[in-house]
Amino acid sequence: MKHTFLLLSFLVVAAPVAAQDPPSLSIRPFVMGAEQNFTASDTFQAVFETTRGPFFGGGVQVVFVDQFVVELGASRFRQTGERVFRTSTGSVFRLGIPVTATITPFEVTGGYRFRFWERVRPYVAAGVGSFAYKETSDFADATENLVTRETGFVLNGGAEVRLHRWIGAAADVQYSRVNGILGEAGLSKQVGEDDLGGVAVRFKLIVGR
Amino acid sequence: MFVAAGLVLTLRAQTLKQQRLEIVNVGLPAVDLGLRLDEIRGPGAANTAQREAILASLRESGAALASTARPTGQRVIVKFIDGLPSAARLSAVADISRSAVMRAAADHADFELVQLGAGEDAEAVAQAFSERSDVDYAQVAYTFHKLLVPNDPLYATNQWNLPMLNLERAWDIQPQAGSTITVAVLDSGMAYQNAIFTPTLPPFRDENGRVYPGLGRVTIPYAAAPQLVGAAGAGRLVSPHDFIWDDNEPFDFDGHGTHVSGTLGQLTNDNVGTAGVAFGVKLMPVKVIDSVWDFLFGAPNEGTDDTVARGIRYAADNNAKIINMSIGRTGPPAPSVESAIRYAVSKGVFIAIAAGNEFEDGNPTEVLAEIASRVNGAVSVAAVDRAKAHAFYSSTGSWVELSAPGGSGRGFGTSGGVFQQTFDPMFTDTFLLPPSLYRAPRFDILNYVPYQGTSMASPHVAGVAAMLMQQGITDPAAIEEALEKTAVDLGSPGRDDTFGFGLVDARAALRGLGLAK
Repeated sequence: MKHTFLLLSFLVVAAPVAAQDPPSLSIRPFVMGAEQNFTASDTFQAVFETTRGPFFGGGVQVVFVDQFVVELGASRFRQTGERVFRTSTGSVFRLGIPVTATITPFEVTGGYRFRFWERVRPYVAAGVGSFAYKETSDFADATENLVTRETGFVLNGGAEVRLHRWIGAAADVQYSRVNGILGEAGLSKQVGEDDLGGVAVRFKLIVGR
Repeated sequence: MFVAAGLVLTLRAQTLKQQRLEIVNVGLPAVDLGLRLDEIRGPGAANTAQREAILASLRESGAALASTARPTGQRVIVKFIDGLPSAARLSAVADISRSAVMRAAADHADFELVQLGAGEDAEAVAQAFSERSDVDYAQVAYTFHKLLVPNDPLYATNQWNLPMLNLERAWDIQPQAGSTITVAVLDSGMAYQNAIFTPTLPPFRDENGRVYPGLGRVTIPYAAAPQLVGAAGAGRLVSPHDFIWDDNEPFDFDGHGTHVSGTLGQLTNDNVGTAGVAFGVKLMPVKVIDSVWDFLFGAPNEGTDDTVARGIRYAADNNAKIINMSIGRTGPPAPSVESAIRYAVSKGVFIAIAAGNEFEDGNPTEVLAEIASRVNGAVSVAAVDRAKAHAFYSSTGSWVELSAPGGSGRGFGTSGGVFQQTFDPMFTDTFLLPPSLYRAPRFDILNYVPYQGTSMASPHVAGVAAMLMQQGITDPAAIEEALEKTAVDLGSPGRDDTFGFGLVDARAALRGLGLAK
């Protein structure tokens, strides 16, 4: 966090003012990597032995008059852990039976870019996502696996740094909430966790002005 | 004085031994059982493990040889509407996935098989096909797996009790069936090795006052139950001990302990006889109850609270991880046994205890089972019949925690019993014959005998517990909780005094939980 702040400060202070007018409409593809801390921490900790996991994806941003942004993005999380038994006192026993969870969010957000500085553009956005979820495990019947999709909402805020006329980098923090997938059965039901979302730190590499 | 005392003790021990003079590891094997243990095909066998490992490797890595090439990745079964031209089918496949390939039509199939590229989401592809108007249905081609149905001939015909616990699919999850776990069977002993006994049989009087003559010194053949020890022989046994005779030779002169041990760990999938629940476990026979023959042979101890308490502690001290106690009594509390149970559980031992057979005899509180209900890590086990109904004898009360098949002849005849290999009672229970026909017993003729009782229900639970422990649930209290949470509710919703939390479901307990399923 300290390093990020120093980097941003440096860019704000040291960056020469861009002399060009921004386009009124800009279409900007991006790739993204994120590390999400899941809200359903007991569930993820038990199955994956961690509450965090990476998402990778990409999408496209449409920027209007340099201030308003509509972003369409897709990403994917895939991780394999073990099925577990968790006692009422919280002890977890891993059973050696592989279980794989795949989360594929498709998100649409709309946001606003602030113009405090030329090369560093803070932004905030909000939107909805369609979250595909697939859970498979060894020894399962087809009916014992799960393939489903639910809608959730996302909020994010961060800053974009212009590295080059056509290249930008952005970092933000995104909060997501997705109900209807966890909490219906399995360990998440046992521990009373019903949110597949969480807080993610995301990094984007953006192509375009 | 100490020397004198030692001499007295030595003489006493010799006298006791002489009373049931035995020559172990001699004698003919059990009568009427042909074994074929040279090539076991099934769980736990080396060739099976190797075969499955090779198959798993091929599935994982794809074909090793071009001539045997099998496609990797997932396949989707697609049933196009009848009459749809091939070109349209190919077009449909191309519409949905660029990397998918429609395979050549297979024999005996009214559908097409679409091979997906690596990394494609088969469920999503199947869904996409399903949504098309020119497709009747589409599904992922899931891999079937074996449902281990043991080839023991009596499994299919007589052992209704094991499928009732969903064991076939539990064995799929854990084909070793508890092979790293030692289970102590605190019972009447076990038919674990061959021997010849030459006791002197005194006269006695039965409960009706009939006098049975003394038979003098007799020769009694004794054979190990081949379906318990089999080719593994004594290697399957861990620290046998006899608290009735105070030695390390817990010979079963009743048949009960051998039967219970069979339900727990009978050799399985060997084309012989019956199957057992946790057929891979190591067995620790601990003899804590005596029989008529123990008495007549002159055993120094009886199956009393102290004997049982010592047996429990012995098992825990000798690294048993599970204890089965198909024994019980009613009457006053048994603090010595309770202390021993708590000691064993504190050392990581899970204990299964029969809930009692006195439902029609006033349904008194079963002392050991009641203790189990107060100790996390020990469970009392009630019995159901083959219709999953309350077995007529099974005691009910607040102490009942779980149910398992105990068998019942009422309404079902002998087919309602729990079958396992043990001594043929025709040759052992000669004291039930009229005095004129009374003769020495022989313990070398074994049979598959139907029993009923919560004694039979308890080893089912002990066996599943052994599998759970091998699967990774190492804490006795957690095993109890897992069994109770995954049990199939019977009777009144929730826990009740007849079935407890319900019928044990071995697969559900072993499989545990995923995130959302």
